[in-house]
Amino acid sequence: MARDSAIPPGSFDEILAWLNPDRDVAGEMYVQLRHDLTKIFTWNRCNDPEGLTDEVFDRVARKVHHLRQNFEGDPRLFFYGVARNLIKEAPKKIKTQVSLDDTDLPANLASEVEKETAQMREECLHHCLQRLSSEKRDLILNYYAKEKQAKIDHRTEMARQLGTSVETLRVRVYRIRGTLEQCIERCLNRMAQGK
Amino acid sequence: MDEKLVTDASLRRFLLGNVDDEERQRIESLFLTHSLSQERVTAAEEDLIEDYLEDSLTAEDKERFLERYADSPTQQRKLRIARSIKEWAAKEGKVAQTDPATVSARSRLREGLRLRRLVVIPVAATIMIAIALAAIWVNNSREQQNRRIALEQEVARLNSASGLREVASTSLVLRSVSVRSVEAQPELISRPDVQIVELRLLWMQKEHYPTYRAVVRRVGVGELVTVRDVQPEADGNSVRIKLPARILTRGTYQIELVGVAADGATSPAQEYQFSVT
Repeated sequence: MARDSAIPPGSFDEILAWLNPDRDVAGEMYVQLRHDLTKIFTWNRCNDPEGLTDEVFDRVARKVHHLRQNFEGDPRLFFYGVARNLIKEAPKKIKTQVSLDDTDLPANLASEVEKETAQMREECLHHCLQRLSSEKRDLILNYYAKEKQAKIDHRTEMARQLGTSVETLRVRVYRIRGTLEQCIERCLNRMAQGK
Repeated sequence: MDEKLVTDASLRRFLLGNVDDEERQRIESLFLTHSLSQERVTAAEEDLIEDYLEDSLTAEDKERFLERYADSPTQQRKLRIARSIKEWAAKEGKVAQTDPATVSARSRLREGLRLRRLVVIPVAATIMIAIALAAIWVNNSREQQNRRIALEQEVARLNSASGLREVASTSLVLRSVSVRSVEAQPELISRPDVQIVELRLLWMQKEHYPTYRAVVRRVGVGELVTVRDVQPEADGNSVRIKLPARILTRGTYQIELVGVAADGATSPAQEYQFSVT
């Protein structure tokens, strides 16, 4: 998505200050908000969720000085309102963008993904598993060892043994799996590029 | 907006695109602004992906799932990777169950005890051993209890108003673990010259409390120490705790932080994780 360059200088700092007076907390909230908005665009089946998220921040940046003084309520809901407007606008833009994307990206990710084989995925999986600590590897192995009905009892027992809740266990496994998936994706990209 | 009204069933309908616009906006708003709802939505999404990979979805749900989670090469790749991880775990799990070389120590111990039941052990010898073990156990647990009390006192002093003025040798900023967060886990590098570790725990909930309680656990071991009556930073957005570095040996640590109201009521817990290398 084309970006509007007319963003007032200093607006990024103003967005952070609007999200939270503590800069550390605001930084965390900013990263999380970007992630969440991208997710919302994906759920709404929009093309280019990351580009649309950039557009939300660009639009808010142009108004943030005024918003800080006049908007009442959780700032994240204002970002969401802008995102909803973009979701309504998005279908028209998808139609005009498809052909441009196809011609602009001769070596796009899609073609690299198609080159992948099960063997490449397995190699990358084993490579990335080796990079995890044995504790994390065992945890993820145990967590996914059972399927369907059996997994519910199994995970409850795992949580009990670790002295935690099933929800907390799920969070922990999700984080490890996220790291593992990112590593595998990078590994597959390197393989596809012949490195 | 009441997050309690978002049931698991309605979250699944939402993820499969089976809700009206009003319900969609309600769930998306909660997802953005309410941390517990965020975790529930993401957990429901994880369950949905697992059900698809286990072929447990109805034909209609499967079709809607594929429309939403497999309509681009990038999403298809993510699903293939998720499937690879599950298949690896299922395969390794089966090997561990059937391969004699990987039979657990506990199973071998159980088998050994079964065989020993066939051997006649003199009753007197058994009683003597039992008495000796009981004496050792009592002694050990008393020592452990004393060590624990001493540690709790040391930690309480470190986290008192005067203790917090002591300069920590190293510090780490931690954000709460969220289902959605996949960034690398913060690491603390173990160094012999470090005496005190300061952890700054960012508090992401809207409600602030006069005091906080932090339970520190070592993953796979259990509770290490509880830090009570910790006061937040002036802005209420973070809580600092100090721990003696010597108790943080190599491993993964989990901290559960709750706000404690004046009437003793506690907030939902926030969890933090870090590792010591």
